[in-house]
Amino acid sequence: MNGRLKGFLVSPVFRAFAALILVLVLGLIFNADGAFFKIGTHRDALRQISVYGCLACGLTLVILSGGIDLAVGSILGLTAVFFALVTIHWGWSPWIGIPATLLVGAAAGAVSGCLVAWGRLQPFIATLAVMVSARGLAKLISHGEKVSTALPTSDGNVKVVDVPKIFRSIDSQILGGNLSTVTLIFFVCFLVSLIALTRHRWGKYLYAIGGNEEASRLSGVPVAWSKLAAYVGCGLFAAVAGICQAAQEQQGDPEGGAGYELTAIAIVVIGGTSLLGGRGGIGLTLLGMLTIGYLEKILSVNAVPESWRLILTGGIIVVAVLAQRNRR
Amino acid sequence: MSAPAETPNRDRLPVRMRGITKQYASQKVVDAVSVEFLPGEVHVLAGENGAGKSTLVKILCGAVGHYEGEIEIGDQPTRFATPHQAAQAGLSIIHQELSLIPEMSVVDNLVLGTEVCRFGFVRTASSREEARRLLAFVGLDLDIDTLVRDLPISLCQLVEIAKALRSAGRLIVMDEPTSALNSTDAERLFDVIAKLKADGRIVVYISHRMEEIRRLADRITVLRDGHHIGTYPASELTDDGLITLMVGDKEILTPASNSENAGFGPAVLALRGVNVTRGPTTLVSNASLEVKAGEVVGLAGLQGSGCSELLHALFGSSGKATGEIEVLGRKFVPHNPKSSIKNGMALLTNDRKGSGLVLPLSVTDNTTLAALPSLSPRGWRKTANEQAAAAKMAKDFHLRAPSLDAAVGSLSGGNQQKVALAKWALTQPKLMLLDEPTRGIDVGAKREIYALIERWKSEGLAILLITSELPELLMLSDRIVVMHRGHVVRTLDRAEATGEKVIEAAMNKEVA
Amino acid sequence: MINFRRHRSQLLVLVAMLAVGCGSGSTETATNTPDAGKGGGDTAVKKTFTIGVSQCNRGEPYRVQMDTDIADAAKGHPELKMVFKDAANDSLKQRDQVEEFIQAKVDLLIISPKEAQPLTEPVAKAMDAGIPVIVLDRAVIGDKYTCFIGADNKLIGKALGQWLVKRLNGKGTVVELKGLMTTPPAQDRHAGFMEGIAGSDVKVVFDADMKWLEPNARTEMDSALARLPKFDAVFAHNDPGAHGAYLAAQAAGREKGVIFVGIDGLPSEGRVYVKQGIEEACFQYPTGGKEAIDTALLILAKKPFEKKIVLKSNFYTKENVDKGGEPLP
Repeated sequence: MNGRLKGFLVSPVFRAFAALILVLVLGLIFNADGAFFKIGTHRDALRQISVYGCLACGLTLVILSGGIDLAVGSILGLTAVFFALVTIHWGWSPWIGIPATLLVGAAAGAVSGCLVAWGRLQPFIATLAVMVSARGLAKLISHGEKVSTALPTSDGNVKVVDVPKIFRSIDSQILGGNLSTVTLIFFVCFLVSLIALTRHRWGKYLYAIGGNEEASRLSGVPVAWSKLAAYVGCGLFAAVAGICQAAQEQQGDPEGGAGYELTAIAIVVIGGTSLLGGRGGIGLTLLGMLTIGYLEKILSVNAVPESWRLILTGGIIVVAVLAQRNRR
Repeated sequence: MSAPAETPNRDRLPVRMRGITKQYASQKVVDAVSVEFLPGEVHVLAGENGAGKSTLVKILCGAVGHYEGEIEIGDQPTRFATPHQAAQAGLSIIHQELSLIPEMSVVDNLVLGTEVCRFGFVRTASSREEARRLLAFVGLDLDIDTLVRDLPISLCQLVEIAKALRSAGRLIVMDEPTSALNSTDAERLFDVIAKLKADGRIVVYISHRMEEIRRLADRITVLRDGHHIGTYPASELTDDGLITLMVGDKEILTPASNSENAGFGPAVLALRGVNVTRGPTTLVSNASLEVKAGEVVGLAGLQGSGCSELLHALFGSSGKATGEIEVLGRKFVPHNPKSSIKNGMALLTNDRKGSGLVLPLSVTDNTTLAALPSLSPRGWRKTANEQAAAAKMAKDFHLRAPSLDAAVGSLSGGNQQKVALAKWALTQPKLMLLDEPTRGIDVGAKREIYALIERWKSEGLAILLITSELPELLMLSDRIVVMHRGHVVRTLDRAEATGEKVIEAAMNKEVA
Repeated sequence: MINFRRHRSQLLVLVAMLAVGCGSGSTETATNTPDAGKGGGDTAVKKTFTIGVSQCNRGEPYRVQMDTDIADAAKGHPELKMVFKDAANDSLKQRDQVEEFIQAKVDLLIISPKEAQPLTEPVAKAMDAGIPVIVLDRAVIGDKYTCFIGADNKLIGKALGQWLVKRLNGKGTVVELKGLMTTPPAQDRHAGFMEGIAGSDVKVVFDADMKWLEPNARTEMDSALARLPKFDAVFAHNDPGAHGAYLAAQAAGREKGVIFVGIDGLPSEGRVYVKQGIEEACFQYPTGGKEAIDTALLILAKKPFEKKIVLKSNFYTKENVDKGGEPLP
């Protein structure tokens, strides 16, 4: 009689959801005087995690191929600064500014990709180098200051200009204020990765390379190009995140996104994608994102002190990964 | 030469397993098996993959717990919770998989975990002496400071055996010890086994190679589907009798008769004066050979002959081949595997897990991996087509898998090999390069693969085959090209080829 | 799975790379060379002084501003040659930089130390080498330095609290978004603020640690908005925090009728937010750059100076921001 329940509790489907369910149950119990039951709370939880989610989409591609990309946080900072610079200071139209920013992100990813695919550097080292350099580049083009609507003038004063329209459009809400636009943008990123991974040949190549690079090469898989594409995709998604971040802060912060790569990696791993490559998927990343996002929201809405937030976050990561672990 | 372990004068007692049963979930992998191992015998465990041999010996050596039944040493019942406890009692196992650490030297590997210590400090001099003694016992003369990663796989296996013999006491299990050995090194192992036997120790031996079983076995225990079929003196069993016991009344695919050699098509692969280099070293020099459509050419050679390297270079996967290469009558320069596949070539490597299959991926994904460009025009996948193609292959190849979505890593060796072959069949190649297609798989699967090769022949494929099992080579090949240290030394027609001639040619220059 | 040998060589690359990174950080200098050539006539007794400036972290806008203020103040004095170094938020690196300045025999050292303990000894060493040291913003332990210039976070927090009590007519609810609570500025700003509102009916109804970061401030503000149907004011420990909170309230359509106040008042941040009407008031945390140069000139000219200078803060509102603010009451 208990067998069926037990069977469900050890099934892979449940295990993937276990951490998320645990977090949601925590939310139901510690509902902060009913705040957890308000739709606005859920909208905000999703908004806050969306930027990380975009990074995690790209990272899923790279991690499935057996790599890692530490540079996503820095690329976020670089592209946020670049986007703020061209749209606020130089007055570019978003129709040029957005593609140009995406191009910057893709280029940064391409550098990592080339170093890994043809330079044969360990992904950890290659992307660490790009991480440091991209941060430097962000500081260089921003002169070390936040790129905001306050423009310095020649006489030492500042002139304040309007926030570009595109910033307000990205940082808006849709569906009668029940969903943030950035969440929609994340969802588009999610769908793009989902289609790439499940419907396109390249996606399967990434799994194969992560599972056994040598066997893939001998089966005629274009290993180098597939890897390059994964890192370019990762840079592209980081640029999307950078645009969202700039729009939400109404400025480009050269320090923006510092440390975000670790949260994004945590999202991917909590979902159940293996850091060794070859196992996992973008759907799992979505679960990981919801787990982390809701955990942070629940801790925040209950005004839990910082020390306990860190301890609980660490605990949830362990629970999630233990639940995911392949019992072989 | 002295005995391996420090305690040669242990009492020579029989080891008995009584009514051993081991159950995983609802499946009994070993079902009420009782065997007695006698001192001074080589006891072969025979059975197809999945018959329960490995589980049985793992129970014997403490690697698997929670079983029913009893183990007795002499008349003393005993039960091991860990491999360490079993080793204390003198029962140890030599694994199929290498457990050596590549970045460490031979001596460090040999004494790892059991370093000769005084007050916690490693006594280097005695460790080195011990290492030399062990290597001498297995007949190896090696610089003990060589790093293991610099050794050929065959020597690694012998070092592994030497390491295991260090703690060997009354009973030693060898699970497919020759799977990575060439014939010279296998001979060394057989010498070691003879010494152990003469010393009154029990050797439990698992092998799929009939000639090894014939040569070594005193008694043979046959297992099938976890059941004990029987234990027989080796002299009372014929080869066919043994196979019948192992396979039971299942259908056996026998290779088609090889007598008719007629009707080869045009040359699919032609090499004239081909050299293979990897960096500064020349691996093959001035090789010439031809493979016609519908023909199987066997490539034979001992360790370091360059056979495998030649296949890899032709396929463009490693090394650089120069000289005249023609594929399907056109000049061909190996560039990379992708372009070779486009030119109708396929390479089955000799390392299924390392370079043949993507173990975490499903049967379907592995089967369709090489043929994906044609299955997904313009990049977009048609999963229905992929599943249909994989299903057809699974049926053609008599694949036994719980489902086509199961990870390939969860299948048995023989079924894994079928998936690897199916992957190449799906690309519809004109030239098959097969490197050890039957390594480490059970008799039934071997026969199915022989049948496949016959079928491909009849379909007009050209096949270049490497196998280290002589009978297999002689049975399958229409012609045998023998290589020695990178040179083609002899070509034998089916009619004239015998095992002796092949071995003689392969060792030609050493003898001369 | 991992090839250790390859790993090791790449580890070396990593170490080398980090070393290069450190090197470039520590030598990042900006020199403000005076126009010595122009006043070429009367060079009889004219001496130039080299002043070393060790900034703990130019990653923070506030500290970039501090360097800018020092450079600007020095511009009027052609006899001063300024050398700036950035320790990139690393105490040990800053210690090395102080050593370098001692080796280079600068005439005076201005240091804004990252932490008190690790930099107390290097500062004392400079003093022993006969180099006067002006310690800016953050203190060192003991009194072995020439002059300390700093603002009082507690005083600023208290003034802000008192201002808010007055603004709310003695009664109201406040959301407090704190800086990183393990750092003294955040602790002092909080303690001062609590002192300022003590005895009134102004109450803190929600508080969270946003670690000085704008995205965190927005996240925490979202939570405050979800929890509280109504509140009167938001006090953020820095201006970016107030800005993030404002954007959160704006997204919820609830920014109207709420008073946002922040601290720091940098020309490119807080003062702009006041002009834009995002913050109703902003309390300056002065950098002391100008005062440092003024004091340096006194020290170099061997004139009397004060050993400890507490900087006067301004506060900015829409009315006074264009005039440069008003001093705290």
